[in-house]
Amino acid sequence: MRLNEIKKGGLFRVKNLNCCNDCVSRLMSMGLLPDQEIRLVHEAPLGDPIAVEFNGCHTSIRLEDAAHVEVEPIQ
Amino acid sequence: MSAESTNRRIALIGNPNTGKTSLFNILTGMRQRVGNYSGVTVEKKTGLWQMANGQEVELIDLPGTYSLSASSLDERVAVDVITGHGMGGRAPDLVVVVVDVENLRRNLFLASQASELGVPMVIALNCWDVAERKGLQIDSKLLAQRFGVPVVPTIAKRKSGTMELAKAVEKALETRPTMVRPLWPEPVQNAIRKLQQELVTERGEALREGELQRLLFDRRSAVRERLKTPASEHVPIIEAVREQLYKDGFQPDAAESTLRFRFLNPLLNDVLERQAAMKRRSKSEGIDQLLLHKFWGLLVFMGMMYVVFQSVYTWAGPVMGLIESAVGWAQGIASEALVGTPMLQSLIADGIIGGVGAFLVFLPQILVLFFFISLLEASGYMARAAFLMDKLFQWCGLNGKSFVPLLTSFACAIPGIMATRTINDNKARLITILVAPLMSCSARLPVYLLLIGAFIEPRYGSNVAGATLFAMHFVGALVAAPFAWVLNKTVNKGRKPTPFVMELPHYRVPQVKLILFRMYESGKEFVVRAGTVIFAMTIIIWALLYFPRPPELQDQLATEYIAQISQDSTSGIAESIELDANQSSELERQVAARYLEQSYMGRFGKFVQPIFEPAGYDWKITVGVLASFPAREIIISTLGITYALGGEVDEASDDLRNTLNHAKWETGPRAGEPVFKIPVALSIMVFFALCMQCGATLAVIAKELNWRWAAGSFIALTSLAWLAAVLVYQIGTLFG
Repeated sequence: MRLNEIKKGGLFRVKNLNCCNDCVSRLMSMGLLPDQEIRLVHEAPLGDPIAVEFNGCHTSIRLEDAAHVEVEPIQ
Repeated sequence: MSAESTNRRIALIGNPNTGKTSLFNILTGMRQRVGNYSGVTVEKKTGLWQMANGQEVELIDLPGTYSLSASSLDERVAVDVITGHGMGGRAPDLVVVVVDVENLRRNLFLASQASELGVPMVIALNCWDVAERKGLQIDSKLLAQRFGVPVVPTIAKRKSGTMELAKAVEKALETRPTMVRPLWPEPVQNAIRKLQQELVTERGEALREGELQRLLFDRRSAVRERLKTPASEHVPIIEAVREQLYKDGFQPDAAESTLRFRFLNPLLNDVLERQAAMKRRSKSEGIDQLLLHKFWGLLVFMGMMYVVFQSVYTWAGPVMGLIESAVGWAQGIASEALVGTPMLQSLIADGIIGGVGAFLVFLPQILVLFFFISLLEASGYMARAAFLMDKLFQWCGLNGKSFVPLLTSFACAIPGIMATRTINDNKARLITILVAPLMSCSARLPVYLLLIGAFIEPRYGSNVAGATLFAMHFVGALVAAPFAWVLNKTVNKGRKPTPFVMELPHYRVPQVKLILFRMYESGKEFVVRAGTVIFAMTIIIWALLYFPRPPELQDQLATEYIAQISQDSTSGIAESIELDANQSSELERQVAARYLEQSYMGRFGKFVQPIFEPAGYDWKITVGVLASFPAREIIISTLGITYALGGEVDEASDDLRNTLNHAKWETGPRAGEPVFKIPVALSIMVFFALCMQCGATLAVIAKELNWRWAAGSFIALTSLAWLAAVLVYQIGTLFG
């Protein structure tokens, strides 16, 4: 599944990133790399953007950009 | 040579939200200069920092960035300055990397990138809390040992560690320590060697290894733009090398982050674990449960924005009133003192004192707004506000950070445009600046009130009048949305987008001193850079309204007037007529009206009136519209003068309202018909809603962008306003 589809509450692991997207490459230089754990912390009132947490920092990202990050749930 | 150019030069770099700017402010005190890097709208801050030995160094505060990949203008400026391609071609002698202790890994990524550019480095390990100080000392020693550069713990908030930092920098300027660099895998080394060979050896490019890395790793590196080798040659070279790297198993766009973090991780072992224990994350997260809540979060947000808006719109009012009455008082004194020399009197009272007043009056709003903006930014709430509002703005190329500037523009576009500095996406910032003048600012209110009061209210009653006033406030915003969309599709076409990835930093208690400093800074900058332009414009408009002023005209009018009165009066003895107070002020008003009519501005107004004919304006309205280009509210006093009521009328004046209702066309096909019908009143209001009739706004746009943008937006908005005014009048006449 993709990062724009994740729901609050679960913990996810990054599988793959489309590094051609500028936002994704920015996230990568902030430390979002394959195997990184990530979770959804907030959704904006209109559902977009979302705020995710990885590595202890909270970051806002738009859904269209989040679609470039592939994640899998951790049980 | 000036002292500054011989000083050592030190650049301050770091991630956003690390306290870098606080540190910069503390190290330089008030002795800093703010400007723009040539050609770009990135703010350039430099200052002087006194070392322990009394020597001063030049300190540059580079924009906060997460990486040097040069995908945004900020990052590009950072790379350029560090490599000596910005700021007069001199590279800094040393880089101080400000590292936030709570985000070590991410912060050191930037430090590691900078180290590849070969500059000596000192790390300031900044933290926000004294409580963390103890663990910090251990960490800093360990980090210094592992990375090979001095690491100094600082608490920017409490000025703690600044002496130690100065000492470390002083020493490092001699020993020139550089940070350990990753050992790149063979394919990366080969790629770099290949670039070195083809670009540096064969084509004589002056590139450091770090710059070659930028060319290799970054899809659209800004370094490419300053290569001397033409794109037709360098693009194939770089793409071939990137292609080879990909074949060797490293996706070039991902290689750097993957490999560099792989290099950093072991060096941060056990340091990171201690960091984790210190995290105050939970506290901020708790606050966000409320402030980012879909319902309560919005409610709090709207409440806060209401306070910000009210304070700019209403609470700055008394101070503005005070400035206005001080200006009026000064004008009165000057007028009285210079009563014998009417030209000088008018120049000093209306031109010079009026001109100073014209920009000083904005100062209260600017100071109040920047108080709130720095409060919102320093506390960490600004990013949340942008998060909440982003979706509303996405479709037209703006982002959530456009909200506060645009909202403020409903009070006044000047502070609104200055507030766009908080938008770090340059495309979004550009569009926000260009549409901000369309928001219905408070200077339009008197115009609306006058026309609605004179034409709508008497005919349709107060309910329709209120609704019209309400609607007028949204005309501009309604036009602004498609306008922004079009701008984004046209002027922004081909410009690199800045990724909208925004950290939601920890909440922090803002420091009063830094807030005051920011207010002082923005106020000073406005007065120095925009104030002078506003002043000059006021003088020019004054001259156009004053000259030419042949003294015969006054005598002639006086004779005519007296002759008329003596005819009316029963006595019939012309010579013995003495004007009473009423009559002489009536004469004075008529003289003023005639002087305005034949002034350069009056003549110009008559000359261009045909352009405004389709909008239903006679020459008097046209002159009023033209005279109010420096500031919208001037139309009221100008109409007062042209209709011989004197310049002191205001929007609530019954005299003015009555006169407008009885005004008739003087010449042309419509001679004798009333000038002001409902369509004309609406057309004027729409024109004022859309037109860029504010010299101060132009000056601020020129300051924030440049004069070409200011001229462009002036032309665009004026044409737009004209078009809309014509449409309203023509359609209105059709149905009216």
